[in-house]
Amino acid sequence: MTTMPEIMSDTQLQGYTDEQKYQVFNKEFMPHIDSMYNFAFRLTMDEDDANDLVQDTYLKAFRFISSFEQGTNAKAWLFRILKNSFINDYRKKSKEPAKVDYQDVETTYNSDEASETEHTTDLRFETVQDMIGDEVASALNSLPVDFRTVIILCDIEGFTYEEMAKILDIPIGTVRSRLHRARNLLKDKLKEYAASMGYNKNED
Amino acid sequence: MSGTLHSSTTVGVEGRQATAPMKESCEHQADCLKRIQAILDGGASEAEKQHFKDHIDICKPCIDMYHLEKCIKEALQGKVEKKCCPDKIAAAIQAEITK
Ligand SMILES: [Zn+2]
Repeated sequence: MTTMPEIMSDTQLQGYTDEQKYQVFNKEFMPHIDSMYNFAFRLTMDEDDANDLVQDTYLKAFRFISSFEQGTNAKAWLFRILKNSFINDYRKKSKEPAKVDYQDVETTYNSDEASETEHTTDLRFETVQDMIGDEVASALNSLPVDFRTVIILCDIEGFTYEEMAKILDIPIGTVRSRLHRARNLLKDKLKEYAASMGYNKNED
Repeated sequence: MSGTLHSSTTVGVEGRQATAPMKESCEHQADCLKRIQAILDGGASEAEKQHFKDHIDICKPCIDMYHLEKCIKEALQGKVEKKCCPDKIAAAIQAEITK
């Protein structure tokens, strides 16, 4: 169907020709495949699931390519599709601890300023500096997926709060508070690791 | 081994003159932490940036929090392995969309 572009809203792109589709796909989408895979792997914690998730996401992206506006943020657009696919298709079967765990954590870290204040201390930055990547990764991996997600998007992928809000479909204020709680939890985990590895002795 | 200079006076975020007395406790620690994170994330408002400037050099707990948050962020960025997509997946995607 070689129709001329019809009247469309700003957000809806004029139909691409097949040629253009491949061009956009390869130029705008494919360069992000490693970031996408890393995100998928950190969400599912499983290589096969990550493979499937990335593949599904890219095929969806191709199918809905006409709703992608060229020149806008392709990476954020792709991450949003991946995140939604994960929630809809993979979350149930992934090795994630049951929802109850997440609720507990939410309640604990949601509660009040008092608990937040207590979390701000006694992990030393030197301790974190001494840790190797695998230890930091283990601490990250041990977080409930929603907390893990905001940290990956912000600290590993470098998305802005605004982009994260779009990817996650939540307001910016929620992005910030979820990040804050995620980081408090991460600090607890880092401290646990440090203690178990004997990092925390008062040398110097 | 470490060739870096370890001076106990360089705790401040930027070269600090020892004018105001250093605060040993911070009364708004949770708020300060949120602000510090927004600064490091590049998502702070103008008001937050100003508050940070006024506060960071005179408050010991905030300086410590700043260093810790920065250090964790850098560890996540720089130390955690980034997994790469296997070539066969990229190939499978290409095969699928061109068929
Ligand atoms: Zn302070």
